[in-house]
Amino acid sequence: MKKQFIIAFIFIISLATSITVQAQTTATVKITGEVTTPLNLALADLHQFAQTVVVRKDKDGKDHTYSGVMLSDILQKAGVVMNRESLTKYLLVDASDGYQIIFALAELDKSFTDRVIILADTVDGKPLALGDGPFRIIVQDEKKPARCIKQVTSMKVLFAK
Amino acid sequence: MKIKWSYNPLKKCRNYDITILLVVLTLTLSAGTYYHDVIPTGPYQFTYPANFGNRINVPEDNPTTKQGVYLGRMLFYEPRLSANNTLSCANCHKQQLAFTDNRSFSVGVDQVETTRNSMSLANLLWTRKFFWDGRAASLEEQAAVPLTNPHEMGQSLEASVKKLKAKPQYSALFKAVYGDNAITGERICKAIAQFERTLISANSRYDQYLRKAYQPTAEELKGMDLFNTGPQPEKGIRGANCAHCHGGVKTYMELFHNNGLDSIPKDNGIEAITGLPGDRGRFKVPTLRNIALTAPYMHDGRFKTLDEVLDHYSDHVRQSESLSTVFRGESNEIGGKTLMLLPQEKKEIIAFLNMLTDKDFITNPEFSDPRLHPTKK
Repeated sequence: MKKQFIIAFIFIISLATSITVQAQTTATVKITGEVTTPLNLALADLHQFAQTVVVRKDKDGKDHTYSGVMLSDILQKAGVVMNRESLTKYLLVDASDGYQIIFALAELDKSFTDRVIILADTVDGKPLALGDGPFRIIVQDEKKPARCIKQVTSMKVLFAK
Repeated sequence: MKIKWSYNPLKKCRNYDITILLVVLTLTLSAGTYYHDVIPTGPYQFTYPANFGNRINVPEDNPTTKQGVYLGRMLFYEPRLSANNTLSCANCHKQQLAFTDNRSFSVGVDQVETTRNSMSLANLLWTRKFFWDGRAASLEEQAAVPLTNPHEMGQSLEASVKKLKAKPQYSALFKAVYGDNAITGERICKAIAQFERTLISANSRYDQYLRKAYQPTAEELKGMDLFNTGPQPEKGIRGANCAHCHGGVKTYMELFHNNGLDSIPKDNGIEAITGLPGDRGRFKVPTLRNIALTAPYMHDGRFKTLDEVLDHYSDHVRQSESLSTVFRGESNEIGGKTLMLLPQEKKEIIAFLNMLTDKDFITNPEFSDPRLHPTKK
């Protein structure tokens, strides 16, 4: 019984510690999977990349100006090389509400398409609303906004099996 | 007299002993094969409608077998897995209530209440994040928590292993499942997870409707329409937009939202894990399968009836910074702040929700206590 208490105590302490550590963290986007350098990007890190602007309609039917970083640039930084093998790879994007979408890597390859897909952090010059941000993917010209995934928390490069 | 004296009761006893010893020996030696003979073995084939999709979640290191499911079922109903030998998983997950317990919070071995409502166990085969806050990535990981939580079953896995080792039939069962008769905490959780994956609810009147075997009433059809439609008052389209988060044939999309229960929540939900303010008051959007059976509702069981739930979504959503966007400005009235459903519409939606009750699921003997309903071979 005593041992159980000690185990429970250690468990609670470690849990409390992990929560405290988490409480100090800010929102980030993790880039993992088939990459050579996994990344964990906070807003400040994102601002180190070249910024790209995309104008597209949102649900309200009006044009909005989004600014952020091309996904291809982020993947390049993570060491993803676009080659023949990447034609069978995809990027799985996760949002904090559990929503998931994917892009084929070729959709993010400038040699395949001029359509721009960015990880945005501002809309019309302001930070994204709490319910949308701090990070949201904006897909240029796509008819439905369903892949303009809000509250992005992670992006994972995977092989189609 | 001499004969009488030669009758030695002690000696007779010894004879009995030998007989018992022989019986026990025979049983022990045959125990391994005995279980192979009476319980089904081999790979377990999940059966479900094609429209459920195949994005199922079975860890590579725990393939589902018939014997594994049987062992898991035994363990799911095994009170020896609790500190005082009175509670099994089934105490808070009762089959007749779609594996819930009809309480806001459950009471554990120490008579202390849990902090969140007992969740229904249906169609977990497609689930990838478990608990109200999605913190466990597998059923295997999930199972260990209620087993060992002092306010639930309250017993270390080591103690459970010891208790199961004292029951010879488990030794044979573990051998049938894992190839050797070692009983470990990991194996206990793996077997329970295997059983839980078989708890598939796919024969409600809604399923029957989808396969054209049931004609819903006019009220049910109206409810279904409201359920699946987002409100567009400027176009005269009325809806409750439930499917935005509870859509698809499984009525489960593995989403996590702040649904406006409180402006300042008592339980911060996922924020307690991530530390991010956007996650405050955010909880799993549960399946609506068998929802009429799983009262009370929400992570804290605050709503006793479906009427109360509908009233909440229609009229009482509380504003806060982390309120999910789907609840912001969605209304059946132009400029309305909440859904503003009519009393009749609420009734219709509840009629549809009642279509999600699956009688086969709650009476299937394969999901019940194997000590009461032995498995058919």
